[in-house]
Amino acid sequence: MSSKIRWSGAGLGFLGVALVLVVHWMVFFWVPTERTMGIVQRIFYIHVPSAWVAFMAFGIVAICSAVYLWLKDERLDMAAVAAAEGGMLFTAIVLLTGPLWGKVAWGTWWQWEPRLTLTLLLFFIYLGYFLVRSSTENPEKGKRFAAVVGIVGALDIPLIHVSVQFFRSLHPEPVVINPEGPSLPGDMLTTLFTGLAAFTVLFFAFFLFRYSLEHMKRAMVHRELAGEGSPLQGGVAS
Amino acid sequence: MAREFGPIQAVDGVSFTLGAGQLMTVFGPNGAGKTTLLGILSGGLKPSAGEVMLRGTRLRAGDPEWHRRIGVLSHKSFLYGHLTLEENLRFFGRLFGLRDLSVRIPERLEQVGLADRAKSAARTLSRGMRQRLALARTLLHDPDFVLLDEPYTGLDAHAAAVLRQVLTSLKDGHRIVILVTHNISQGLELADRVAIQVRGRFVYLGDRSEVDADSFERAYRERVEEEG
Amino acid sequence: MEYLRQLAAIVWKDVAVELRTRERIAAMGGFTILVGVLFNYAIDPTVVEPQAIASGLIWMTIIFGGMLGLGRTFHLEEEEGAFQGILLSPIPRDALYLGKVVSNFILLTAVTMLVFGVFALFFGLGFGGHPLALAGVVLLGILGFVAIGTLFSAISAGTSMGDTLLPILVFPLLIPLIIYGVTATSRLFQDLPVSEVDGNLRMLGAFAVVALAAGAGLFRFVVEE
Repeated sequence: MSSKIRWSGAGLGFLGVALVLVVHWMVFFWVPTERTMGIVQRIFYIHVPSAWVAFMAFGIVAICSAVYLWLKDERLDMAAVAAAEGGMLFTAIVLLTGPLWGKVAWGTWWQWEPRLTLTLLLFFIYLGYFLVRSSTENPEKGKRFAAVVGIVGALDIPLIHVSVQFFRSLHPEPVVINPEGPSLPGDMLTTLFTGLAAFTVLFFAFFLFRYSLEHMKRAMVHRELAGEGSPLQGGVAS
Repeated sequence: MAREFGPIQAVDGVSFTLGAGQLMTVFGPNGAGKTTLLGILSGGLKPSAGEVMLRGTRLRAGDPEWHRRIGVLSHKSFLYGHLTLEENLRFFGRLFGLRDLSVRIPERLEQVGLADRAKSAARTLSRGMRQRLALARTLLHDPDFVLLDEPYTGLDAHAAAVLRQVLTSLKDGHRIVILVTHNISQGLELADRVAIQVRGRFVYLGDRSEVDADSFERAYRERVEEEG
Repeated sequence: MEYLRQLAAIVWKDVAVELRTRERIAAMGGFTILVGVLFNYAIDPTVVEPQAIASGLIWMTIIFGGMLGLGRTFHLEEEEGAFQGILLSPIPRDALYLGKVVSNFILLTAVTMLVFGVFALFFGLGFGGHPLALAGVVLLGILGFVAIGTLFSAISAGTSMGDTLLPILVFPLLIPLIIYGVTATSRLFQDLPVSEVDGNLRMLGAFAVVALAAGAGLFRFVVEE
């Protein structure tokens, strides 16, 4: 079971890396330069797919968390952790590439662009997810706490999204550029979709590896508890 | 009336049955899992395996009906120091959905000899008085099944006498009582059944009539040293 | 019916304990007044009129002051293990949560009134001509805040990080509340017609409903052993 997961992870990993290389080739050598924004627009073929993956990951975290609270199946919690870690990585990529683009396009590192703001808040929700998980004496409790953070975060995300859009509508900026553009020419669309595919595949490769790592870690803790009463987390509640 | 209790398969293979009006004392050194055992019996902790039955009803952790039938006296008093004795009991009485609190509360305070302190704040009580109040709180909703965790610790002679009297009346009222302690003489006093728990397991389980105090104490020390 | 009696018992107990100790209200009240003093010196009146940013300052004071009290929601239960006693009673976990929300809401309403009083006194603010709409905005806002804060203070109380964790968990989630609360309050201060804040009221209401439903549904997973 576990080795099957690792092999699938390895397969997806090779495919993902290959696709990422293809996307980079397309970004640097193939796709035409966007006329109004110039060369810097090319970062969006990395930026947008990362954002897509970050939010998809959070969806997985929320769904796995909700079902975990219901069924208390350890595997769902492991899946939630694996997705959250991948999600946090891609959230970080979004938050790095966004300002890089912003510095050229807006002339400033940070703008309260709604989607970028939402991603920043998502990053902090992920942070809270890991902090509650790691700061309880009883690991079971940490898992439940994290699941609650994941679910409430996911319920709040749409409200945050609507509210930051609303806030933006009150303070219109002189340089409003719709990042994707209303309709992308064919080549750009192809590049974007290749990027989406590459990052999604790569995310699931990370996800499977992280899942099987978590699986092995827990199996090890179990063995130690069963064997020599390891000092690792005295699991008996009092 | 048949009132069955058991079998528990928790805290490492512990299993026993008690009849109505019986008191069982569980002895064990610190860290033997006694408090965890009480936690499972009280419905606060979910057992990883096994089940608890009370008069044909299976315990589901967190089931309100189960909480209604159980009274727990922990080594913490569960009291609010800033509320008066009467208010403390009224608060817990309301949580249990009791209706006749204006009659019940004075009656219970009388029973534990605290009627004259009804209007004082709980934090002004001595340790022994607080334990008596905690006992009144435990029994306020007339539980069928009473769990006591080290009830004699820190009690003065008067409070210990009140506790003994209350335990006797519980047995006469056909309640089931489980008492956890590491004090041999106090634990044996009113027991019908005795058990020794070491490292989560019951290493001894028998009737009180089968053991005499001295040899039991010797046997207890041996088992604890052997296993612990 | 019994559900409501149990819920009311929690509220009654919390209010009675708070009235006797005055622990949280004193800390939050003192904080509020001192923040008013600090703001006075933190704002350069030759650059900004305090009135122009009053709604934001008021909301930030309510949120920060509120965090002080909300963080203590479950600490006052700790001393003699009383919370364990509550969990061993047949009260449904959602009734327990909602009871805590109500008592925190009462506490925060008192603090909020103090905040408005302090700002009126220190900065000579008028609050516009729609007191009812303003009360609606503020009360819906703090209801949502309390609903989130109560759930997460139960979580942070269960961790080794305690209160320090609470802002990290709660602040990102409060963005909708701040945005709609502050803009609505600011419009009402400017005496704009009430129809201008209709949408904000609806969003604040939606936030409170989602937060309460999530809290009531999830609280039992937070307190179970």
